[in-house]
Amino acid sequence: MEPAMGMGLVALMGAAATVAGCSEDLESDIGSQSNPNSQVQLAAQVGYPHRIFNKAISGEPPSNAMICAAGAGVAAMLMASTDVSPLIAIAIGAFVGALLDGIYSVTSYIGRSTSQKRFNQYVYLDVLRNQVLSLMGHAYITTFCIVLISYVMTYVMVDPITGLGGHPFPFPVIALIWGLCVGAIGSSTGDVHYGAEREFQDFKFGSGLNAADSGNITRFAEAGIRSSIDNAWFCSKFGGPATGIAFGMVVFLDNWRSTVFAHVINGWGAVIAGLTIVLVLALYNRKLETYARKKYGPFPEYAGDIEA
Amino acid sequence: MSDITVIGMLAENWGSIIGIILGGLCIAVGVHFVPVGGAPAAMAQATGIGTGTVQLAAGSGLTGLLAAGYMYMTLAGVSEASISDVVLISATGAVGAMIMITVTMLVGNWVYIYGVGVPPASAKKDYDPITGDSQAPYVAPGTVGQGIPTVCFVSGAIGGLLGGLGGSLVYCMLMWVNGDPAISSIFAIGVFLVNAVLPSYNIQGTIEGFHDPKFKRVPKAILACFIASLLCGIVAVMIPGIPALGGA
Repeated sequence: MEPAMGMGLVALMGAAATVAGCSEDLESDIGSQSNPNSQVQLAAQVGYPHRIFNKAISGEPPSNAMICAAGAGVAAMLMASTDVSPLIAIAIGAFVGALLDGIYSVTSYIGRSTSQKRFNQYVYLDVLRNQVLSLMGHAYITTFCIVLISYVMTYVMVDPITGLGGHPFPFPVIALIWGLCVGAIGSSTGDVHYGAEREFQDFKFGSGLNAADSGNITRFAEAGIRSSIDNAWFCSKFGGPATGIAFGMVVFLDNWRSTVFAHVINGWGAVIAGLTIVLVLALYNRKLETYARKKYGPFPEYAGDIEA
Repeated sequence: MSDITVIGMLAENWGSIIGIILGGLCIAVGVHFVPVGGAPAAMAQATGIGTGTVQLAAGSGLTGLLAAGYMYMTLAGVSEASISDVVLISATGAVGAMIMITVTMLVGNWVYIYGVGVPPASAKKDYDPITGDSQAPYVAPGTVGQGIPTVCFVSGAIGGLLGGLGGSLVYCMLMWVNGDPAISSIFAIGVFLVNAVLPSYNIQGTIEGFHDPKFKRVPKAILACFIASLLCGIVAVMIPGIPALGGA
């Protein structure tokens, strides 16, 4: 394979990963999965029943790993046993992954809401009908992109010097690892935008969230009662794309240094390139921290002694 | 095909068992370095990355494992890699995990700073041990810090390094035993998760990194993970893989 072709594939994987990261985060925002779910769960218990979708199948990494591995497994089986084209096989695999996500979302929403009946938290069938399909749609996009990345790594990428083809891990295992990775990134980055900002928009921006206000989530939207679709609309402006950039950067930078520098200084080139990337990111983070401290300044409530 | 006995396989692969234990201990110590704030961090109520310990450690370590698997194939195919190759493969895996975790921490800080409007600050120390910046005035009232200040960032990068190193080392050791990337990768994921879950009992949801008082509990995790990795290693070397059985 030509080196330019290899770089093109790495770029394609980075682009697919960016889309996957964004849709994964929006899916978890619509469903209130992962850590922000604790507030949605708590809200009814502290006297704030709501119409936000409440699913916590599991943490995001295992649930995404499951649907991506299932999608890749179906795609691999179709490619091995029929002469269907890989793109169609991946699309069908992603559809199966989305169905799994839908099944777990429905059971999770009904189970969680019914268990909170004593707090006047009801099962709203219109919430279920409207939002499960958008959850499944986002899960489809995530699974499709991750399975596509895994397919490229397994079957398409060839080392330009040794001529060895593809990644040695099985196709579904690669999808499982990338699913785990996108879930971990979505849970660490985009979910903060939903959990710390969108769920508590009644509080002043930048005031921090006092632990005493836990559960007091914003339940009214720009117009009417807030639904999870409103949350996806808000998070798609920053949290979702930020997650996409993070996952795209991980896939692109990791594959780029492995592909381009794999044979420099007997393989150590890839390690040195990776360390350089880490160093640059650390310096940028420090610059960002200094900027934030200068821009926002200390909290006015600071009295001199705060117990850790 | 020669006879395969339990004692014979243990005697033949003792080196791999030691490697798996070392890898497991690297993972266990690495998990303590990763600054995780759990659910409170997702609401900007605690310092660290807003997700679970195991999930982030596994996410980064296994990303490193992918890079390590590719490097193993480039260097040695499915045959036994030499010690110097193992060093290079483990270093590649470690750097892969570092890239994943540093990108996650950086973008996490974007969200805290631009999306939530709070500066990164640690509540466990009055001054950042690396930069010397004062922390307490920047901690939001009623919380135990937010975001990922420099000390947590550096600690997280070290955690990624150790996690990726451990996972890749386990993978190499398993490849020595069975020469089958499929079985080795799945078993390496399993060993990784065992050694990431056990230390999370130490961490109890949140830890800021090496400067956190909870970090002093590392020796307990080392003991627990030594025993768990030994058991995993014994089971792992008894799974011969398709090439060792004379198959394809």
